[in-house]
Amino acid sequence: MMEGRSAMESPVTRLPTRRRTKSYGRSCFEASSRFAYTSGQLTILRIPTTREAPRARNIAERVDPEQVTLLIKNEWKLSYVTPLYRFRHTHLKKYSKHLSAFIAAEKQQGTAVEVGLETGYRVTFSTVLGIAETDEDAETVFIQIQSKPMFAATGDALKVVWSGWLTCVNGSPEYLHSLLPDFVSLPLFCSSGPENITVVVKSWFEKMFDCRFGSLGLDSTSLQWLCALWTGCHPDNNIRYLRLLWTLPTQPPLDVSYTVNPQDAWELWNSVRQEDSVDGTVGIDEVKHFMAGLESHFFRHFKIYLSSGTLRKVSTALGSAQQDGKVKILCSDYLATVLTLLTECAILKMPI
Amino acid sequence: MSKTMSKSHNVSEAESCIHGAANRSSRRSERRRADVEDPFGRALEYFSQVKAGTPVKGNDALENNLVLVERVALGRGLPPGAVATLLDFALSLRLGSSVCSRVLKFLIPASAVPQDSVVRGVSWFCMGKMPVSAQILFLRWILTMFDLIDSKDQLRSIYGFIFSFVTDEVLSPYVCHLLYLLTTKEHVQPFRVRKLLEVQAKMGRQPPLTQLLALYKVLCPEMIAISMPSKTRGGFKNHNLPWKTALAAVLKKNKTAEAPSPPLSLDIKEKASTRKRKLHHLEVPQLSCGPEIESSRGKAVHLQQLRSFAQLLQNLDNIELPAQMGSLLSSSLALHYLDCVHDESALLRLNFWLGSVLHEEFLFCSRDGNPENSTEPSQFLDICLSLPQECFSSSEFFLFKFLAMWDGSLHQPQILSLLSDIPPLPVSRMKMFLFEPLQQLYFTSSVFFKCGVIECLRSMLWKWLTWHFVQTSHKELDVSLSSSRTMNLHMSEFLELVTELVQYVGRLASAGLQLENYHILLHHQTLNFYELVCDVYLKFNLPLFLLPPSGVIFPSLLATDPVTVDRLGYVIFRYRQNLMSAKEHKQQKKEPSFHISRDVFREFNLLMVAVVSCLWISKDCQVDVGTDVHKALVPLRTMLSYCKNYNLIHHPAFLNYAIEFHQKCWPEQTNVDLSSIQGKKYWYWYLEFLFSQGFDGLKDFIQNNMDHQSTPVGGH
Repeated sequence: MMEGRSAMESPVTRLPTRRRTKSYGRSCFEASSRFAYTSGQLTILRIPTTREAPRARNIAERVDPEQVTLLIKNEWKLSYVTPLYRFRHTHLKKYSKHLSAFIAAEKQQGTAVEVGLETGYRVTFSTVLGIAETDEDAETVFIQIQSKPMFAATGDALKVVWSGWLTCVNGSPEYLHSLLPDFVSLPLFCSSGPENITVVVKSWFEKMFDCRFGSLGLDSTSLQWLCALWTGCHPDNNIRYLRLLWTLPTQPPLDVSYTVNPQDAWELWNSVRQEDSVDGTVGIDEVKHFMAGLESHFFRHFKIYLSSGTLRKVSTALGSAQQDGKVKILCSDYLATVLTLLTECAILKMPI
Repeated sequence: MSKTMSKSHNVSEAESCIHGAANRSSRRSERRRADVEDPFGRALEYFSQVKAGTPVKGNDALENNLVLVERVALGRGLPPGAVATLLDFALSLRLGSSVCSRVLKFLIPASAVPQDSVVRGVSWFCMGKMPVSAQILFLRWILTMFDLIDSKDQLRSIYGFIFSFVTDEVLSPYVCHLLYLLTTKEHVQPFRVRKLLEVQAKMGRQPPLTQLLALYKVLCPEMIAISMPSKTRGGFKNHNLPWKTALAAVLKKNKTAEAPSPPLSLDIKEKASTRKRKLHHLEVPQLSCGPEIESSRGKAVHLQQLRSFAQLLQNLDNIELPAQMGSLLSSSLALHYLDCVHDESALLRLNFWLGSVLHEEFLFCSRDGNPENSTEPSQFLDICLSLPQECFSSSEFFLFKFLAMWDGSLHQPQILSLLSDIPPLPVSRMKMFLFEPLQQLYFTSSVFFKCGVIECLRSMLWKWLTWHFVQTSHKELDVSLSSSRTMNLHMSEFLELVTELVQYVGRLASAGLQLENYHILLHHQTLNFYELVCDVYLKFNLPLFLLPPSGVIFPSLLATDPVTVDRLGYVIFRYRQNLMSAKEHKQQKKEPSFHISRDVFREFNLLMVAVVSCLWISKDCQVDVGTDVHKALVPLRTMLSYCKNYNLIHHPAFLNYAIEFHQKCWPEQTNVDLSSIQGKKYWYWYLEFLFSQGFDGLKDFIQNNMDHQSTPVGGH
């Protein structure tokens, strides 16, 4: 079709993506040869070029529906976390007490707080069983922080002020195997709530489990993946719209919002799907073709090369994702697909 | 609580009685000996025997003895026995509290304070008869002399007694300070935590109390949470005012006698930066205990409790690592400790921490156009460089990624030194991640960067060779060590890697020399590298002979400064020594595995002929410079045809010396005819003259390669 040719016409800005591939891929490092220390086996880890096509699954069969609603309700800010040292899923109660004392102590600088006493905050750690896809994946941990309103009557309910969760879905088995048994890898951290509480929670984790947090942005390749994967779901689950947001490097920067009719988007997607591709997988070439098709269509109308800008946001009725790492999942049926992709992004950020 | 207290009290009382009795009997015998004419001894005897209720006013004997002892104390300090006697006398309040405080004020020990005397003092203190001012004075005295108390185990065992005074509003600050010095992990108990929190609720945030609580939190984070506001890091006041100058003088005087044990560098360094950084990637966390007690093996000792190196050695087997491994970076000693324990997961934690800091600071973090003050990042890189663990895999991965986006100037010295720590990796990887990106930077940067790169690669090669040498020569000795650090490179792979590195530097150097118009600094850096390469066989026992390429040799040979030529002479001399000894070794041992290619000798001989014919014979040198001379070097080839002008007399680098020599030989001659030096006698005199100017490399080269009888052809 037309897409192939127009993709060649439009100047494809591949540089940033190539740099990413080069700088974060560690396909070529092995720990087998070390001067000083060999700690943690690093194994081959490549940026995948194919993925499983999303299949709608009723997650409520495996996961407690109440917990699912907690996960899909909010917009989450993503971070990556290095593996947690001596984290135990069996000690969640103790962690709850400790974190609430820690938050109270942080609030009133310089005053000591005994662990286990009632403070203004109630922290609940819970395990969300069923999110993990493989045996290697550690179970998801959900954290909720509730607080008493300042002038509340005794009977008033606690208000949820912050929530967050740590997860790992379909984490690279080579990577997870390479860790020592003392470590639990939950590389993806999602948080929603005031930034100051997020900072306190992160610092508590860093102190307790000797880990480190870093913000996790989504590069344009990841956003393109999400765009294609969500579009592919259209026959099973109406996406209602496909909205893309670009920022073009003009002076001043030009924001382009591009909304595509869901049916059109799906037909374009269907046309770039290669016939010989193995059933149930999606290749990166198909995704690139799909994006090139969308971009060339835009060029035909507005004479603007979208590929010279950066893709900032992708949203459909199934969910939305932004370049700065904000993600919203609106449909629980495709939770596993999205989380697999995000877990992979998080693992690629790991320092070793 | 009171039960445990009284129990421990009894025990310690009994102990101190035994100690006291032993001390007393020995003291008595000493006293008898010294009794003959020792006013100081008699004064002490007076204080130990004086009865309660003796009048103070108008008591000349008391006054005289006090003056006498005070003079000794302020002059040279009191011996341990005297400290014990006087402390006991003062705190018993036998002659009232004014005498007590007077004695305490001049109680300056000469060297050490016996622990049992302090324990006795505390028991007087606990009796509750002392006025508050005396109590405070005594506590301040202990705090001042704390480091001089010979051991603290008994004091620690009466921790509960001292703790009970924490509720006293007046004494509380001093008691908190003393407890802070005594507290170990076992002392942190829930009931004490609760007590302190009660005191905190009653008296508010008192700095000494907060400090004690913070220590409790460090030792037992699972019991208590506190966060210290960054402003109030003041800590404790010094309570040493009454004794400060006198103590300093006495200690200074006595210092010459015995050197104090070296201070331990475990203390956390004070945060130097007051400026608020927007990002906190580079903050080294505080040393604190792990939250889990499950793994503690009986008597686990925390790094923060250790005060001396001797203690570290004693507790080497049961030291507990801190909750955040990153905190180890604040102490080099702790890092060395980590080196001895071989704790895989500890290393992995540190590895993750370090890698994540480096990644966040230098790779992921966008500066958003504001040029950040770069002292902190470079300080952090300096810390990384000083780690005894030469290269963490995380810093290696970081470097590989960073090279792809490095501009070659940001933190250049640190990055280049970090690069030189990279361990030997398979050639293909080394090429892809190091050689290629570095090459791009090399050719597009200034001559000083080029020198830096060559130096970095030299030091890298030197580390590899040293490592290899240690590995091969101590294989039998230190199996355990080598097994944990094995580099899974086979010998052949290692040789291939070294060869590749040397050839790579050869290419960089010859092209760089041309590009930079034979910059003298680059010349020297290159020769520096080859000074290492030429000695690989003799110094590191590695049968590898890699000659510099023509692009390095000939520019050095024809350089205009004599030192370059001299160094080249040294390099060739060392190559010859290595090749000769390898040949001898081969003939003696007849090892089949030991093989030197014929080409090496051929190549070296060619090189020798070229150099000798240039410097010495000065015939038209029809030297076959080989086919490996790059086309760009064609001008050199034509230059070589004027080779007769390059013997040691006419060489531009030595012309200066030749003229000077000529003037010395024939001072009256006005027109200088240099060819007159080529006469046999003068030629050797000239050589001697050159050698006396410090050209040792040239001397080695000429004396080992030349037949002394031969003169330069073409002379008179």
